[in-house]
Amino acid sequence: MITGRRLELATTRDTEFLDVTGRLQAEVEAAGLCNGRLFVQSLHTTLGLLVNENEPLLLGDFEALLEKVAPNGGVYLHDDFARRVEVPDDEPANGHAHCRQFFLSPALTLLVEDGRLLLGRWQSVFAVELDGPRQRALALQLDGDFAAPRARQEVVELELGRQLAVDPAAVQVPMRRLVEAGGKRVRPLLVTLGSRLGPTSDPLRTGTLAAAVELIHAATLVHDDYVDDSDTRRGKPTVAALEGPERAIAVGDYYFAKATRVIAELGDAAVTSTIAEAMEAICRAQMDDVALRGSYPGDHASYLQVVRGKTAALMAAACVAGAQLAGAQPELVDRLRRYGELLGTAFQMADDVVDYSEASGKPAGQDIRQRTLSLPLIYAHEDHEVGPQIRELLRGELGDADVRRVAELVKASGALERVGEEARGLVRAAVRELEGVELNGAGAGFSELAHAAVDRVS
Amino acid sequence: MKPAVDIAERDLESLDALWSGGLGEAWEAYRDHHADGRVALAAALVETGVQLQGLGARTVPAGELLIGDLCLARASRLLADAGDTDLQVAFARAVERVAAQAAAKEPVSPIRELLHSALAR
Repeated sequence: MITGRRLELATTRDTEFLDVTGRLQAEVEAAGLCNGRLFVQSLHTTLGLLVNENEPLLLGDFEALLEKVAPNGGVYLHDDFARRVEVPDDEPANGHAHCRQFFLSPALTLLVEDGRLLLGRWQSVFAVELDGPRQRALALQLDGDFAAPRARQEVVELELGRQLAVDPAAVQVPMRRLVEAGGKRVRPLLVTLGSRLGPTSDPLRTGTLAAAVELIHAATLVHDDYVDDSDTRRGKPTVAALEGPERAIAVGDYYFAKATRVIAELGDAAVTSTIAEAMEAICRAQMDDVALRGSYPGDHASYLQVVRGKTAALMAAACVAGAQLAGAQPELVDRLRRYGELLGTAFQMADDVVDYSEASGKPAGQDIRQRTLSLPLIYAHEDHEVGPQIRELLRGELGDADVRRVAELVKASGALERVGEEARGLVRAAVRELEGVELNGAGAGFSELAHAAVDRVS
Repeated sequence: MKPAVDIAERDLESLDALWSGGLGEAWEAYRDHHADGRVALAAALVETGVQLQGLGARTVPAGELLIGDLCLARASRLLADAGDTDLQVAFARAVERVAAQAAAKEPVSPIRELLHSALAR
């Protein structure tokens, strides 16, 4: 994986040796680069890079050397504006600075081992200002093995375990069984990525929020399974199937309430509102979903209406709340909301396609059997060739053979490919939402997560 | 018929039918304990949601479960809008308590008493 970021510098003198070793090390740690390389590149023609000893008299020697080889006030063709073409009005006479950079490097590669820059005892990394004072920027790219995403996920898992551990057994045991059965942890990851976009990111508070968001998701699954009369989830019996509907309702309610409380206790009103509004959107969409089953399999518009609430709302809220908790700028928060909405919709479309896969881990044709809104079925239902047969089959009770036949017709119609392409289009749009903005090294994570959401088999 | 003051259309969207079925009465009762109509509505929605879902009492149809979920979610949003974190925490603890009791098949505490205590804090 490669991740990129910018290091902003403010120089204060005409010639200045700015030791950036500590800041580069901080960037390595923030990105979680364990073993690999840090590429550093000056984005200026009068700002060079140097690795040497940070000893004030030595730095004085360097400055004197630069003055000797390219004296300030000397004669440089570059400063003869009359002979140059297209000279900006504010062009400084800085031929000496350009010539000095000839002796420095515009870019460096630094090795990273065990999360530390591999530098000798006396080595420091300098950004060398040759024409200051100015605002400067270094471009950084980090390449290699990143331990931090895993570490951040471990924080979330630990926090989930910690939050569950204090709950009464009657609710804890069934919820723990569901949480430990797996799940992609997409929403906690979105919280974590979102949190990297603000100046006050705190890993522990982020972990608390991420775990609470996952508990909300899990609580919706517990109630969903009761509503859909599902027997299995993540390869295990559902709470309703194993322990009865009364306990399923109570477990869902308990964790809705607990997650709400944990988030409120973080003390960020914007985060609390974001999650509360998402929970409301989920509930409204659940009701729409059930209501629309009367006109099963529905149409594209009603499908989007339900999916935006049931799936996309919490994914968008996860991105937004993570960023809000870290104090991200409102414009960035808005972009994240759109990213999350597009990603959530694409994610559900991919889920619909996965339902037709042998590798899904779910009973084949579960969506058809439960008459759940599903875009491949909507498209196949509208198909001139297979549509009439599907409509005929859906009219009656669906036995196993009928479910298999409907699934075959959907596959034959090309609807799975069509939905897959639509989902990939949404993912491309989601990634575009985050283009051109500073993402503090999280850009690759957002992009990878979005693509992984649709390129999956389970 | 819902009152014209304090409650926005949005606050009762999809839940209008509950007003004459007990939500309105509950709202009036909570108004005596809190001046903010939205907070009173949040309390009434929590009470109605818990009752609809039959916590500790009965198995309910899927439709009632979902309406109950919407009541609880709406209450949470109203408290967030009101900006009262302490009340949000207290209300959530009340729901946690009755849900845990219901899950354990223990007698469920009266939710109105719990919410009154929360409002009195």
